Amino acid sequence: MPWELKPDRPIYAQLVEHIVQMILSGVYPPGSKLPSVRDLAKEASVNPNTMQRALAMLEEDGLIITHRTSGRSITEDSEMIRKTRTRIARDQVSEFLEKMQKLGFEKEEILSIITEMIKEVRG
Amino acid sequence: MLGKLIKYELKATGRTFLPLYAALLVFAAVTKLTYLLSDSGDNIPAVISLILYIIILTGMFVMTFVVMIQRFYKNLLSDEGYLMFTLPVETWKHITSKLLVSVIWNIGSIAAAILSIVILSIDDIISGEMKTELSIDIAGSTTALALFELILACIAGMVFGILIIYASIAWGHLSKRHRIMASIGAFLALATFSQIMFFCFTVMPVAKALQERGDILYIGLDRSLTIYHWFMWILIAFLVILSALFFAITNYVLNRELNLE
Amino acid sequence: MNPILECNGLTKTFGPKKALSDINLKIGQGQIVGLLGPNGSGKTTLIKIATALLTPSSGEIQISGMKPGLGTKKIVSYLPEKNYLNDWMRVRDIIGMFKDFYEDFNPEKACDMLKRLNISADDRLKTLSKGTKEKVQLILVMSREAKLYLLDEPIGGVDPAARDYILETIIGNYNPEATVLISTHLIYDVEKILDHVIFINEGRLVLSSSVDEIREQGKSVDGLFREVFRC
Repeated sequence: MPWELKPDRPIYAQLVEHIVQMILSGVYPPGSKLPSVRDLAKEASVNPNTMQRALAMLEEDGLIITHRTSGRSITEDSEMIRKTRTRIARDQVSEFLEKMQKLGFEKEEILSIITEMIKEVRG
Repeated sequence: MLGKLIKYELKATGRTFLPLYAALLVFAAVTKLTYLLSDSGDNIPAVISLILYIIILTGMFVMTFVVMIQRFYKNLLSDEGYLMFTLPVETWKHITSKLLVSVIWNIGSIAAAILSIVILSIDDIISGEMKTELSIDIAGSTTALALFELILACIAGMVFGILIIYASIAWGHLSKRHRIMASIGAFLALATFSQIMFFCFTVMPVAKALQERGDILYIGLDRSLTIYHWFMWILIAFLVILSALFFAITNYVLNRELNLE
Repeated sequence: MNPILECNGLTKTFGPKKALSDINLKIGQGQIVGLLGPNGSGKTTLIKIATALLTPSSGEIQISGMKPGLGTKKIVSYLPEKNYLNDWMRVRDIIGMFKDFYEDFNPEKACDMLKRLNISADDRLKTLSKGTKEKVQLILVMSREAKLYLLDEPIGGVDPAARDYILETIIGNYNPEATVLISTHLIYDVEKILDHVIFINEGRLVLSSSVDEIREQGKSVDGLFREVFRC
């Protein structure tokens, strides 16, 4: 998964999102070890300080656990990962709903469009 | 750190001088051999070899002078100075290392020249013609002292000569633009200053002392030796004092007014 | 936290020209700082005063509380925009020289990086290409464990592949307690790795800000730079 960083948003926030994506998509499965800050920073070609900051935020959220001796790993708490997954989905959907409301759609209208589209995709 | 600076300075300059010395001695030997081996009639190889020897000899002394200036200017005040002056070393150590190594090569060049002359006149030495001249009363303690004073004065003179050039280059460095012209100007000023000082504090007192005695023409060998000793020590003191002054100027500029552009 | 580098009223004139005028600045420990400005804006002058190669006309600069001198030279690792390598040395000589003079130099690290570039210890510095010489200098500078790295235009005048190599080398050897100051006019290439930026123009300080602050306003450093220095 390439690290694509936009120039007009804080890098640490983008790194957090990217690492979360990697965890959810299984690049780093629950309980697996994370590379060192330095290696991650090199991979993303960013400043190690910034990477450190992103990891600290993920640690605060509980997605990453720091071991005193053996570096960092992804949490084994799959409930936590599931929650994060749901939270991100909700964030995305609420952003979408906001836009649709701005365009003047009613709730029922939105729902029917979505149901229709999902059917199409399945078909 | 001074020792390390001297080590790198010797490495940087040794690659110029050691081959030169070797070439000088080789050509001295070749000249001697071709001269000894050839019949009295046909001496062309010996003449060619002698000419090459003289060219190398001249070149060696020119190089001794050029390298002295070039090492100071190029290594400290051009792009290479970016490396030298960011090393954690006091400025006076840079100057001292350059000065000492320059003195070493000055002495080295003179030694190589003397050695080459010995080679050229090896048969005369062996046959003993030069012995009489070389062995005049070296045992006598006054003569030994006089010789010691002479050598000391020569070394002090070398140090003085090198430092006056360093101080001139440093002084020229203060100029914003025409640094080379300013260095030449500084050299003329410092040389004139030195000459005036030399006259006032070395020549004058000795001349005065002689005049006061009024018996210059009648003094014996012992007396003239005493005057010689006096003169030499005054001269050495004079050279040391001015050298210290020039060292201080150089050190001040490189320490406080350095502007590498 | 004590600033690693601090300027107070720093001014430098070359004849009638003011290269720096009244710069007041503080840079903290543990960050990568971009010193950004167009060509001739005073970036190099500022760095050369910090390395004691230039003497300020007025005002002062302090590194870790010391004026530039013997004490600061021990903790500052400086990459000039010029080639300062001697002609007569081999690669091993210059490594030996760094080892002899800098207590914080790590020769194994330097040899390792040189090996990866296929530069042999026996190579003569004279025979190296311009780009390779620049890389050798960077490797020497980054193999020190200094407190402050002053890198003057490390990516100017090299191709994009070399640029990546240089930035990787800087990141890969960076110790998070140290501060790295990178001067450049190529902002786009470095902005990803910067914590803090300083803009200078015509010898004056225009802006000193953290990169996150700029980005939180929805701007990129490159975009802001273009805005500030619009011709």
